[in-house]
Amino acid sequence: MSELHIRHLYHRYGVTEVLADVGLDLYAGETLALVGPSGCGKSTLLHIIAGLLTPSEVVMQSTFRGLACVFQEPRLMPWKTTADNIALGLKALGVPKTARQRQAAALAQRMGLAPEDLAKYPHELSGGMQSRVSLARALAIKPDLLLLDEPFSALDIGLKAELYRQLEEQVQQQGTAVLMITHDLMEAVRLADRILMMVPDPGRMVYEFTLQQPQAERSSTWVYQTTAELMQVREVRIGFGLDEGELPVQISHHEQHSGCSV
Amino acid sequence: MSPLRSLHNALGATLAYLWSGWGAVASILLFCALWELGGRVYGDLVLPGPVATLQQLSGMFDSGQALPELIISARRALYGLGLALGIGTLLGLLAGRSMTAAMMSRPLVTLLLGMPPIAWLVLAMLWFGMGDATPVFTVFIACFPIAFAGAMQGGRTLDNKLKDVALAYRLPWRMLLTDLYLPHITSYLFPAWITALGTSWKVVVMAELLTTVDGVGAALAVSRAQLDTASSLGWIVAVLGLLLAFEYLLLEPIKRRVERWRTEPGP
Repeated sequence: MSELHIRHLYHRYGVTEVLADVGLDLYAGETLALVGPSGCGKSTLLHIIAGLLTPSEVVMQSTFRGLACVFQEPRLMPWKTTADNIALGLKALGVPKTARQRQAAALAQRMGLAPEDLAKYPHELSGGMQSRVSLARALAIKPDLLLLDEPFSALDIGLKAELYRQLEEQVQQQGTAVLMITHDLMEAVRLADRILMMVPDPGRMVYEFTLQQPQAERSSTWVYQTTAELMQVREVRIGFGLDEGELPVQISHHEQHSGCSV
Repeated sequence: MSPLRSLHNALGATLAYLWSGWGAVASILLFCALWELGGRVYGDLVLPGPVATLQQLSGMFDSGQALPELIISARRALYGLGLALGIGTLLGLLAGRSMTAAMMSRPLVTLLLGMPPIAWLVLAMLWFGMGDATPVFTVFIACFPIAFAGAMQGGRTLDNKLKDVALAYRLPWRMLLTDLYLPHITSYLFPAWITALGTSWKVVVMAELLTTVDGVGAALAVSRAQLDTASSLGWIVAVLGLLLAFEYLLLEPIKRRVERWRTEPGP
């Protein structure tokens, strides 16, 4: 089974410490939500896992092989048609043209895009359609680890619900592990198996919340209740600035690690 | 997309492009009308009208005088332009990759762009004498900063967000080039190249006028010496015609093809 383990992750931009002693575990088929206020280092953490940033210090072990990213904005290549944008990752993997076009068309259909949209350029698509293309591009390479950086934050409720469903389907059928960033607690409660709360200055984990209820049995009522419950937790209230208070910086003391052991 | 459909699209785009030319034709004809009016007012010696000019030009073509000169000038302009585009684009892209190089080259580009071509021409005459090399060099040095600045701008403005996407999806370096860098940079290069083309024609005629014994510029010098306004205008029309044909029949369609992702869908 594929797993990701991170310990003692530190990252600095100049003298500012963005992440301090962050650690997390993620297993195949699991959905982990990172929540926290803006500037708490969530995106930085995601970029590090995606390999786009090299942290100042880390012990990281990952057996995930196929990794896909969905960014906050759709970030489609403006000079590529919908079909080519969806097939971008497949092209990088060396899938022949006809095969990847077929897969892109199938995925586009699954995402609710019309066949004539395949030949369109991003500027001809609405924002919601661009988000679907962006998610399709990620799912096209059949990743075993999916990183989501608030991809749903700018979408309307109906589209959100539809993309949630696509995501759940992916997790159930392919056993994909999902690491998602959100500042919408309700979204986290709806989708995640575990929720990690982060706070800034320096960015660190302060609270972990496990959700036992299986995905299929999460009714709207249950989601509201659980979110309300979560909102009563002291760390969450202080973290989001709802209550006054201080959360202590707890740095685990460790030997200067060699990078070999977890 | 099926080949039939893409053929259909390409045909439609070509027809639409040609049709859009009517506006340009009308505007040129209006200009000719004003020209004719000027000709009537000032007389043939000062300003021959468009008809007289075209007659003179076709006479020059018939006598076999025009074509060789035009070919000589075109060859010089294209050599200089080709060198400038090749070297300028390459160096510009390299400069665009590095912040330091970009900062260092910016004042130099401003300097080169600001320096009048006539000054370069004087230097070139001293360095290369009265041969082919002088106009070619002058064209090169006049077009080089344009291509360089365009390429550097393209290199510098590459969206880091798209680069992150490319890295996250593990694009191999060849795909980085063909699917990310080139499409982006082309959209900066083409306008610069078209500007450089216009500059190259202007500069080559000027350089020939002062230095060489053949080419359109030299022929202009001769017609000026003979106070032959009709021939002078004929040469000017020939050069402009070539420039317009090159730009609108070759570069502009390529630009439309390459940048069709930019344009809004037609009405």
